[in-house]
Amino acid sequence: MIYKILLALWMALIIVASFFYSEAAGGFPGETSRILFFHVPQAWIATLSFLLSMIGSAIYLKKRTVDADHFALSAAELGFLFCVLATVTGSIFAKATWGSFWNWDPRETSIVILLMIYGAYFALRSALADPDKKRLFSAAYSILAFATVPFLVFVVPRITTSLHPEDTMNPASPGMDPRTLKVFLGSLLAYTTLFVWMLRLKIRLLRVEDKRDREDL
Amino acid sequence: MKAGLGFVMAVNLIIWCGIAFYLFVLDRKISKLEKDR
Repeated sequence: MIYKILLALWMALIIVASFFYSEAAGGFPGETSRILFFHVPQAWIATLSFLLSMIGSAIYLKKRTVDADHFALSAAELGFLFCVLATVTGSIFAKATWGSFWNWDPRETSIVILLMIYGAYFALRSALADPDKKRLFSAAYSILAFATVPFLVFVVPRITTSLHPEDTMNPASPGMDPRTLKVFLGSLLAYTTLFVWMLRLKIRLLRVEDKRDREDL
Repeated sequence: MKAGLGFVMAVNLIIWCGIAFYLFVLDRKISKLEKDR
C-alpha cells in the first residue's frame, strides 16, 4: 500500500516539476517540449509491456500455466493502452511542432501498424471460445507480434527521413540540462511503478474472474 | 510563471488525481472480491 501512496505523491510532484522545475528544451516552439516528459515514458512502457507479453506467452507455451497467460494478456492490454496514450500525446506535440495532428510520418505510421498488430491479438482472443485454444493461439501470435516491435519502433523511424526528434529526451545526449534529466528520470520511474501497479491489478482481476468461471461450471 | 502553464499543470494534476483515485478504488474492490472467493 505504501508504494501506491508514494507513487501518487511522486507522480504529482513530477507533474509540477515538469512544468516549473525544468526548462523547456530548445528547438521547439514555446513550452511544447514539456509534453515529452509524459510521451517518452508512455512509449517506453508500451515497448516494455509488449516485451513482457512475449515473455509471458513463451512461458505459457513451455509450461501451459494459466498464470502465464494472464500475465501475457495483462501486459498486452497495458501495452496497447500506453501505445494509444503515446500516440495521442505525440499527436498533440505534432500539432504544436509540425502544424498538424497527423502527418503520416514514419514514426506515426509504424505506431499505427503496431496498434493494428496488437488489436488483432485481442480480436484473436475474443474469436476463440475454447479457453485452451485461445491461450495457445494467442501465445503463439504474441511472440510473432513482438518480432515486429524492434523493427517498427527502432528500425523503421531511423532508416527513413522522419520529423520525429531523436535526442530531445535522450539522457545519453550531450549537454542535456541536469534539471530536465532529473525530471525525465523521475517520470520514467513514476510511469514504471504505475505500470507495475496496473499490471498486478489486471492479473489479480483475471485470477478472480477465472476462479469465478471455474466455480460456476 | 509563463501564461497558461499553470492551467495546463492543474489539468494534468486533476487527471492524475482521477486516475489515482480510480486505481485505489479498483484495488480495494479486487481485494474484496479476492476475500469473498
